[in-house]
Amino acid sequence: MSRFPHFMGALLALLWIAPVAAQQPTGSIRGRVTDNSTQQPLSGVTVVAGSRAALSQADGRYVLTGVPAGSATVRARMVGYAPATQDVSVAEGEAATLDLALTAQAINLAEIVVTGYGEQRAGNITGAVTQITEDQFNGGRIISPEQLIQSKIPGVQVVDNNEPGGGISIRVRGPTSVDASSEPLYVVDGVPMGIANGAGGGLSAGRNPLNFLNPNDIESITVLRDASAAAIYGANAANGVLIIQTKGGRQGPQFEYTGSTSASQVTRLPDMLNATQFATAVQTYATATQISQLDTANTDWFSLVDQTAFGQDNNFAVSGSGETMDWRLSGGYLKQNGVIRGTTTERLSVGLNFNQRLFDNRLDVRTSLRGSRADDQFTPGGVLSNAAQMGPTQPVFDSTAPTGYYDWPGNTLTSADNPLALLNLAKDHGRTYRSIGNMQASYRVPFVEGLKANLNLGFDVAQAQRQSFYPSTLHGQTKTGTDGSDYRSDFSQSNTTLETYLSYLAPLHRLPGTIDITGGYSWAQGHSEYPSYLAQGLTTDILGGNGITAARTVQNFQAIEENRLISFFGRVNYNLNDRYLASASIRRDGSSRFGPANQWGTFPSLSLGWRISEESFMKGIGGLSDLKLRAAWGKTGNQSFANYVQYAQYKLGDAQTQVQFGNQFVTTIRPGAYNAFIQWEGTRAFDLGLDYSILGQRVSGSVDWYTKSTDGLIFTVPVCAGCGLSNFNISNIGKMRNRGLELSLSAQLLRNSGRGLTWTADITAAHNKNEMTQIYASQGVTRIPTGLVAGGVGTFIQVLQPGVPVNSFYVYQQRYDSVGKPIQGGYVDQPTVRDTVACPAAPGCVGLYRPDGLINQDDRRPFHDPAPKWILGHTSYFTYGKLDLNFTLRAYLGNWVYNNVASNLGTYSEVTRASPYNLHASVLETGFTSPQYQSDLYVEDASFLRMDNVSVGLSFKYRGQPMRAFGTIQNAFTLTGYSGVDPTAGLNGLDNNIYPRSRTFTGGLSVRF
Amino acid sequence: MNRIIRRTLIGGVALLALAAMACTDLTLAPKSNATDANVFSDPGAYRAFIARVYAGLAVSGQQGAAGQPDISGIDEGFSQYLRLYWEAEELPSDEAVIGWGDVGLPEMNTQTWAVDNSFVVAMYYRVFFQVMMANEFLRQTTDAKLASRGNVGSTLRAEIRQYRAEARFLRALSYWHGIDLFGKIPLITENELVGTVPQQSTRANVYDFIVSELNAIKADLPPAGASSYGRATAPAADMLLAKVYLNAGVYTGTTHYPEALAAAAAVIAGPYSLDPVYQNMFLADNNNSPEIIFAITQDGLRTQTWGAVTFLVHASCGGSMNTSNYGIDGCWWGLRLKQEARLRYAAGDQRDDFFYTTGQTDTVYAIGNFNNGIAAPKYQNVTSTGQPGSHPTHVDTDFPLFRLADAYLIYAEAHLRSGGGTAQQALDYVNALRVRAYGDSSGVIAGPALTLQFVLDERGRELLWEAHRRTDLVRYGLYTGNSYVWAWKGGVQAGTGTAAHLDLYPIPANELIANPNLVQNPGY
Repeated sequence: MSRFPHFMGALLALLWIAPVAAQQPTGSIRGRVTDNSTQQPLSGVTVVAGSRAALSQADGRYVLTGVPAGSATVRARMVGYAPATQDVSVAEGEAATLDLALTAQAINLAEIVVTGYGEQRAGNITGAVTQITEDQFNGGRIISPEQLIQSKIPGVQVVDNNEPGGGISIRVRGPTSVDASSEPLYVVDGVPMGIANGAGGGLSAGRNPLNFLNPNDIESITVLRDASAAAIYGANAANGVLIIQTKGGRQGPQFEYTGSTSASQVTRLPDMLNATQFATAVQTYATATQISQLDTANTDWFSLVDQTAFGQDNNFAVSGSGETMDWRLSGGYLKQNGVIRGTTTERLSVGLNFNQRLFDNRLDVRTSLRGSRADDQFTPGGVLSNAAQMGPTQPVFDSTAPTGYYDWPGNTLTSADNPLALLNLAKDHGRTYRSIGNMQASYRVPFVEGLKANLNLGFDVAQAQRQSFYPSTLHGQTKTGTDGSDYRSDFSQSNTTLETYLSYLAPLHRLPGTIDITGGYSWAQGHSEYPSYLAQGLTTDILGGNGITAARTVQNFQAIEENRLISFFGRVNYNLNDRYLASASIRRDGSSRFGPANQWGTFPSLSLGWRISEESFMKGIGGLSDLKLRAAWGKTGNQSFANYVQYAQYKLGDAQTQVQFGNQFVTTIRPGAYNAFIQWEGTRAFDLGLDYSILGQRVSGSVDWYTKSTDGLIFTVPVCAGCGLSNFNISNIGKMRNRGLELSLSAQLLRNSGRGLTWTADITAAHNKNEMTQIYASQGVTRIPTGLVAGGVGTFIQVLQPGVPVNSFYVYQQRYDSVGKPIQGGYVDQPTVRDTVACPAAPGCVGLYRPDGLINQDDRRPFHDPAPKWILGHTSYFTYGKLDLNFTLRAYLGNWVYNNVASNLGTYSEVTRASPYNLHASVLETGFTSPQYQSDLYVEDASFLRMDNVSVGLSFKYRGQPMRAFGTIQNAFTLTGYSGVDPTAGLNGLDNNIYPRSRTFTGGLSVRF
Repeated sequence: MNRIIRRTLIGGVALLALAAMACTDLTLAPKSNATDANVFSDPGAYRAFIARVYAGLAVSGQQGAAGQPDISGIDEGFSQYLRLYWEAEELPSDEAVIGWGDVGLPEMNTQTWAVDNSFVVAMYYRVFFQVMMANEFLRQTTDAKLASRGNVGSTLRAEIRQYRAEARFLRALSYWHGIDLFGKIPLITENELVGTVPQQSTRANVYDFIVSELNAIKADLPPAGASSYGRATAPAADMLLAKVYLNAGVYTGTTHYPEALAAAAAVIAGPYSLDPVYQNMFLADNNNSPEIIFAITQDGLRTQTWGAVTFLVHASCGGSMNTSNYGIDGCWWGLRLKQEARLRYAAGDQRDDFFYTTGQTDTVYAIGNFNNGIAAPKYQNVTSTGQPGSHPTHVDTDFPLFRLADAYLIYAEAHLRSGGGTAQQALDYVNALRVRAYGDSSGVIAGPALTLQFVLDERGRELLWEAHRRTDLVRYGLYTGNSYVWAWKGGVQAGTGTAAHLDLYPIPANELIANPNLVQNPGY
C-alpha cells in the first residue's frame, strides 16, 4: 500500500503536461476521421498539426487546439492505414473544419484487441497476444467456450475429457505449477472470474464451471500468452489469461435464431477378450472355483452401455441499438446426451447486455447479466471399468436376483459388477445455478482530454447441488459392505469484484509520441460453503435418494472457504509513430492466502516493439505490410492454491475416527502442518517475437520464442521427519522451466474475386519443453511419486524429479526375449549403486554406478512424459459463392500415454480373482500371468493426427431473410499408433477407462430477421 | 438537472473508489476449522488431543475410514501405523507372506527392499508423526501454557498430568519402533521447535531416552483397569521397558537382561491373567480379555480404518474361506503362512486350530497365489460367542500389542540369558502357556527342554502374527545371514542367506535429502 501514492502522484503529474499556455495567435482545427471505404468513424487516429497533436475519439472526432494561425499541414496516422496529409488554413480564434478519410492498408493491424484493463490496436501490441473472433471459432457441437479456440492459437493446448460439456483444461505454454493450478485466468467482460478462487474459477456440480457461458454469446476470445501482456493481472496471471468478450447489440432491432441437432458415436473402446477367448483363458489359467462360475452367454458389455448420442442446441438473440445505447438479449437451451448411457448435460441460459452512453457520450455504462441452470446426469462411477472387467460369458439378467440383473455368485470383493445394473439402478446428477453480472462504467473526464475514469463492479454467484444414490442391493454395494450409499452436497459460492482505474491516452506535447497510462485498484473477495452429507448402509432403498433414510453411518461435512485479493496496478504504453513501441506495467497484489510476512507481491513487466516495416530503409521492400520485432519480459504470479496454509489448524476428527478410552469413545483433534511463509509462485518469462505480414496481408503470422521460469513453486514436498507435523508440507520450494517456440501463419491463398473461390489457411505450430529444475535447494535428486493408476493399491506411475519434465513416467525398462516377447518380471537392472572400485570397468556400469544385481523399486527410471512436444494445428476456410467450408486438423507429436486398461487387465492372474475379470487383449501377446504395472511396455507414444472439425455451410435467402444451413463433423478421423482408447487421454496421459472419444455429426440452421 | 445527476454520480463513484482503495486488510482466518489461537478455549481439547496421539496407532486420518490422512506419499490405507509395523515385523520373517503386487510390497516378503520402498518410507514417517504429535501435546500443555489460558481448573490439571505421561509413553513406544527398525534416528523432544532440522542421534542415546522416560512417567500413568482400557498404564510402561531391555544388546551393544526380567516380573505381578481361551484374544470382543495389557483399539462403527486389524482380518481371508465365518463381507486374498511357521506346531497344540487348510498348500510355491501357504485367520471379526462384529468391513477386534504371555516368555528368555529369576519360575510360565495351548498337560515340557531355541520357537507359536517376529529373529542373530533360512528369504523359494545390513531398514532416500544431517545405515 505504502508505495501506491507515489505511483498515483506520478500519474497525476503526467496529466498536467496536457494544457500548454499559448503565446502566439492561435486557432483550432476540428473534424472527423473516417475509413475511406466503409465511411465508419475511426478512433485513436493521431492527428498532428505542427507541434499540436490529438487523438480522434470513438465517434471519429478530433480537436486540435493552439494551432498557430495561418496555413497548417495536418497529418493523420494510424496503424494499418496509409497516413493522410492535408492542408488547412487556420484563422486566429476560429475553428477550422477538416474531415479526413484514411485508406486501409493492413486492416488487421488496426483491429482493436482487448487487453487487460484496456484495449490496443493489433499492430501496436508488444506482447504475445492472439485474439480469435466469432468467424474463426470452431463449429459443431460446442458446449464449453474453451472448445471454440482449440487448435487456433499456437501454444494454447485445450484438453477435454470427451464427456459432453466435460471438464476442460487449458495449458498456455505448458504447466507452471505442480500443486497450485496451471489453468489460465478467465476475464469475462473485463471482470476477472473467480479471481479469489483461482484461475478458471467457479463452482460446479457439473462438469465444467465455465459451461454457464453460452458459446453463442461470445464475440471474441483473446489469449494473453506471455508474461508482459498478462502481468497486469499479477498474481493470477502466471498461466496466461483468456479474455472473453460477450456480444452487444449491433444495428437495428434484429432477431437471430440458431438451432442444431447432433448425433455422436463412439469411435474406440478398450480391446477386451470376447466370450470364447475369455472362457479359454479362465479354463487355462484359473482353478475350479472360477471355471465353475462360467456361463455360456455371449455378452458384449460395452455395447450395452454405449449409445448413439443425440443432442440439440437452440439459441435466440434479440438485439438493437439506438443513438446512445445498444442491447442484446439472448437465450439458449442445450441438451446433449453422452455416448455412454446415463450421461446427459442440459443447459438453460439467458444473457443480457445493455450499454448506455450518457452526458454527450462522456459516460459509457456497459452492463451484462447472465444466468444459467445446468443439469448434469453422470454415468455412475464404475460403469466403464466394470464393462471392461465383466465376463463376456455371463448373462445380463437374472430374474432370481434382487436387482433383476445377473452378478457373479458369492458376492466377493474381487468380482466385477454388472455394469448395466449399475447404470440403471444408480443415480448421479448435479444441478448448477450460476449468475454473473457486471457493470463497467467509463467516464471521459472533461477538461483533461484523453483521461478516463473507469469503475467495474462484478459479482459471480453459484449454487451447485450434486446427488448420488447407490441402492443397497447393488452388487458393488453388497460386496464392499457399503450396503447402499446416499450422497448429497449443496455448495455455494459468491465472488465480488470491485475495480477502479484511471486511464489517460494522449499525444505528448513536448515530446514526440503518444502515451497511454493506466493505473488502478482492484478488490476481490470470495466466500464458499461446502456442506455435504453421506449416508452408508441404508436401511431401505425405497426413497431412492430423495429423502433421508436411516443408515448405519451418516457423515456430515462442512467447510467454509474465504479469500481476498487486493491489488494496485499501473501501466504505461508509449508509441512513437507506430514505429517504436514500449510498454511497462506493474502490479502489486496482496492475498489473504499469503503468509503474514509475504502478504504483498510485486509483478512488473517491460516490453518493447520495433515495427521495422515503418523504417524508411524498409519502405522500398515491396509486398511487406508489417514487420515487427517484439521483446518482452515479465514476472507473474500464481496464487491458486489452498486457503489457510499459513494457519496452524486443528482438524477435528469425525465420528468414525474416535478412540476408545475405557468404555468411552473420544473424538480427536489433530494439529496440522502449516507454513507461515507461504506466498505466490513467481514466473519470470522472456518472449522474443516477430510479427510479419506480406503481400498486402495475404500472408501474415508470427514467430515467438519464449522461456518461462517458475520459482517458489508451491509444492507439497516431503519434509524431514521431525521437522513438521506431517511428513509432507506445502512450501515454496521448487523450480520449473518451460521453453518453447511458436509459429503461426495465415495465408489467403485464394482471394475473393466475384463469386469465385476463396481459401484461407491458418497454420499453428508450438513446441514446448518442460523441465522440473529443482525440488529442494540442495542438489539431491528427490522423487515424489505421482500419477496414481488402477492396479494394486497406491501404484504411482509418474514422478516429479529434478531434471525431467513434470509427471514423467517412472517405470522399469522391459526386457524382451529373442522373438520380441516381453519377459514377465524381466527388467533391466539399472546402475544404481555407486561403486568407485569396480566402475567404470565392470559390465553395466554407467559412470561410477553399477547395477546392484537386484530388481527392485530403485530400478525404475524416468521415461518420457504426457505433454506433447509439438502441437500442430491447421484450419482452412473456403468459400465459394454461397457455400463455405472449413476444417481443422490437429496433431500432437511426442505425447506419451500409459495404457492402464492394458496394464491392469492384461494379465492372466486377473482370471484367478474370486470371480474372473475379463482381460485386455494385450495378454494374448504378452502372456503375462502376473501384473507388470510398472513396465515401460505400457507407456506408448500417442502422437496423432486428428481431423477435429469439418464444417460446411450454405447461405441463402428465404422470403428475403438471410439464412444459413450448416453441417459439421467433429473428430472425423484420428490417425495414431496408440493402442488404447484415446491418444489425448487427458493432461496426465493416464488412459484408464476414460470416457471414450466420439465422432459427432451436427446439422443446423441459423436465421436472422 | 443533468449536471446535478452527473455531479452526484461522479462524486459517488469517486467516493466509492477512494473508500475501496483504503481497504487493504487481507486477514481472513479459517472459520470451519479450529486454529491454535482458539482450540484450547474448549477444555475438552486436551482429551481430544491426547486421544489423537493414541489414534495415530489405530487409524490413518481424521475421517473414517479414509480421508484427511495423517501422512502422504502412500495410499492412506497402506499408511496406517499398525499395518505398516505389522508388515515390517512379519513379512520378511519366517511367519508370513502377502500375495499382492502393490509397488514395494513383494520385496517386503523377501528382504529385497529398495532404499525408497514405499512401505519402509511410510513406516519411518509414521514413527515421527507420532513423535511430533506427542511433542506438540507436551508443548501445548506446559504449566505456563495452561496457566496463561486461564480456563484449566485443578481437576483438569490432574487429568492433563496423566495425559502428559501418556503422550510420553506413546512417544517412547514409537521411538522404540524407530530404533528397532531404523537404528540411528533423530531424537526430537518437545524442547525442539517445530521446523528445526534435527540431528541424527545414536541408537544408544535414543535407547537411554526411552528407558529414562518410561521410568519417569510410570507413576503418572492412569491405573490399570477396565476404565483405562486402551490407554497406557503403569504395567504397559513396564512391558515396554521389558521389551526394550530384552533387546538392549542389539540397540546398544550392552545387554540388560536382569532389568528385562525385573520389568517382566513387574508386569506379571500386575492385575493381568492368562485368558482361558487362546483364540478369544483375537476376536471382536477381545477388549474383555484379562490378558491384554495394551491394545490398539478398533471399533467397526467408531474407529474405522483400512489398516490395523481390519487389514489383518480381511487380508488373511481368501481361497474357499467363507467370509461370514470371520464376520466380514469380503476377502482380500493376501496373507498366508510361510511353511516354517506352520510346521512349528506339534500335534495337539490347539493354537493352530484356526488355520484354514482346505485348498491351501503347505508350501508357498508362488507368493502371488493365495492357495500357496496355509491361511491363518487368527484375527476375526466375530465375538467369542460367535456373533459378528458391529460392521462387516471395519472390525471390532483390537490388536493386543502387549499381552501377559509375552511377559512370561520374556521372563523365561531373560532368565536363560542370565538375567536372574529362577529356572522353575521360567519353566512354570512357559508351561502355563503350553497347558492352555494343549488344553491339558500333554504339552508340558521339562526343565532341560527349556532352551533359548525353544523359547524362540515358542514365541513363534504363541505370538504368531503379533508383530514380534523380526525383532526376535534379529535378537537371536537369525534374521539375516545363512544360519537360518526359510522360504523366500533372499528372494528364492528355498530361501537363501541375506546380507547382515538388512537387520535394519534403510533411512528413506528422500529423507537423506530433506535432512542433510542424516547418514544412511551401512550397507545401503
